Amino acid sequence: MNWPLFGHLWRSQRTKLAIVALAMAAWNAFLPVIYNAFGAQMQKLVDSGVIPRQMADFGGADVFSLGGSIALGYLHPISIILVSIFAIGFATAAVAGERERGTLEVLLARPLSRRTVYVTLLAVTLTFIGLILVAASIGTVIGSAIAGVLDQLPIERLPFVWVNGLLLWGSFAAIGLAASVSFDRFTPAIGATLAIVIVSYFLYVLGSLWPDAKGLEPYSLFHYLSTREILGGTVDVLGFGLLAAVGAVAIAWALIEFPRRDLAAPS
Amino acid sequence: MYPSGRMDAITTSGLTKHYRHRELPIHRPGRPVSGPVGALEDLSIVVREGEIFGFLGPNGAGKSTTIRLLLGFLHPTSGSANVLGLDIVRDSVAIRSRVGYLPGGIALYDSLSGERLLDYLGELTGRPSTRRAELVDRLELSARTLRRPVRDYSRGMRQKIGIIQALQHDPELAILDEPSEGLDPLMQRAFYAILDDLKAAGRTIFFSSHVLSEVERVCDRVAIVRRGRLVALQNVASLLEHRKRNVELRASEGDLPRLEGVAGVSGIARTADGRLTCQLEGDVGPFLAALAGHAITDLTIEPAHLEEAFLELYEDVEPDGAAGAPPAPSTAVAAP
Repeated sequence: MNWPLFGHLWRSQRTKLAIVALAMAAWNAFLPVIYNAFGAQMQKLVDSGVIPRQMADFGGADVFSLGGSIALGYLHPISIILVSIFAIGFATAAVAGERERGTLEVLLARPLSRRTVYVTLLAVTLTFIGLILVAASIGTVIGSAIAGVLDQLPIERLPFVWVNGLLLWGSFAAIGLAASVSFDRFTPAIGATLAIVIVSYFLYVLGSLWPDAKGLEPYSLFHYLSTREILGGTVDVLGFGLLAAVGAVAIAWALIEFPRRDLAAPS
Repeated sequence: MYPSGRMDAITTSGLTKHYRHRELPIHRPGRPVSGPVGALEDLSIVVREGEIFGFLGPNGAGKSTTIRLLLGFLHPTSGSANVLGLDIVRDSVAIRSRVGYLPGGIALYDSLSGERLLDYLGELTGRPSTRRAELVDRLELSARTLRRPVRDYSRGMRQKIGIIQALQHDPELAILDEPSEGLDPLMQRAFYAILDDLKAAGRTIFFSSHVLSEVERVCDRVAIVRRGRLVALQNVASLLEHRKRNVELRASEGDLPRLEGVAGVSGIARTADGRLTCQLEGDVGPFLAALAGHAITDLTIEPAHLEEAFLELYEDVEPDGAAGAPPAPSTAVAAP
């Protein structure tokens, strides 16, 4: 871990981080309000059969319960895009982007091992993701208070939701960093990582909405983001372990690949 | 290690680097490559402590590959090298703590101010920036300029920042890749003076360039590489000494001397207006002796330039000059 590098990355990203965290808090504050305002009407609509049950129960996320609406906040594309700015965008640019710009040369000319650089980048990325998810939890509490449903919110379960989110997005970030150290250019690094995230999300959506494709769901990392279950009092330890294992594999790959690969002159 | 306690700053022994196809530093569309491509072949050189060592060669000759091997950016395919007595594979981090490096066409963090960038790179180096104030002063970067973001800098100003970041912590060895690129003539002069002072302070400078006039101006010795192979390793003075000088003379009433057969003289030509031109190599004594007794009215001997010596050397090792021909065997001439 290198603190000057950590500090430099923090300073260079803090404005963007503040904006994303605020947006994430606002989005997560919005959903309990929606639940409180429209949950009952939506439930009636679904019960009447106008909307198919699957469309209203997206992977355990819905707007008929506080837990379901909070889960929707984490699984909605808006939330995914916001977290991806750092978990995918920042992570994949961390090495491949610097290499493409030529600035990696200046950094690696200092007395830093590539493993130190990688560990620092990973720590910074996880810090950013962690703070965005903290903002999401704060937004959830504020939104619940505004909607007057704070008494329904098991606040003591929110740290588990945070850990679950960090494991999911940390795994994607580790995959992004692994791609970043493996490619010379930013475009293939982000392309490969986005492909993994999009395919994973597609499998999850397909499995959620189409009963015949339910078997595909466990192949998606999003399947293991179990916000509703955690808020309901159940922690899927196996799911946590699986997310951690995926992240660990990506980290191990990067720790082996980055130091051993040749960094030819930027063309 | 020398008896005085001085050591070699850089030693390479059979240093070789082959790229796999996907690692080729220069993309050549439409040119299929099968198997590994040799970027550096069997390079063996010694850079002595306290000297300014020029590393010459055309683009793609292997200069950057050598530097990147020395700094641990690339892993050697075979051979070995030591920098400041440390192994380039095992001790790469320790080497970089004692070396200052200026990459060719340096890229900087555009959003930072010059001052903040130098602070940041100094913090990463972990050594006090003892030379920064002096370098900023000599390269004429004002405090106001240093407070501006790097994105507003001209190419020359960026190069100055690049030079300062490489030298601000007073490294024992400076590896400079095309250091004067983008500097105006006045700043080039200031930069050469900085190099002279570093040398006087016992620092070693490994200087990669294809600007031969500056290598001639600042370097003690030069190594010339071509297609990844060492072609020559000589003192600059020695290289120039063996270069052919262009001679033109006039004599009154057509009293031109006979220079045929005179040692060191070649390419003799007489013009209709009574001039004689030739080329002179090595000792000038026999040539001057041949002029004795003739009524010479004008004599011009152009000084030797490294550029011509360099071209002559290339002509020697590549007589057909054919591009794409297989690399010639190493014909390094090592000066003592």
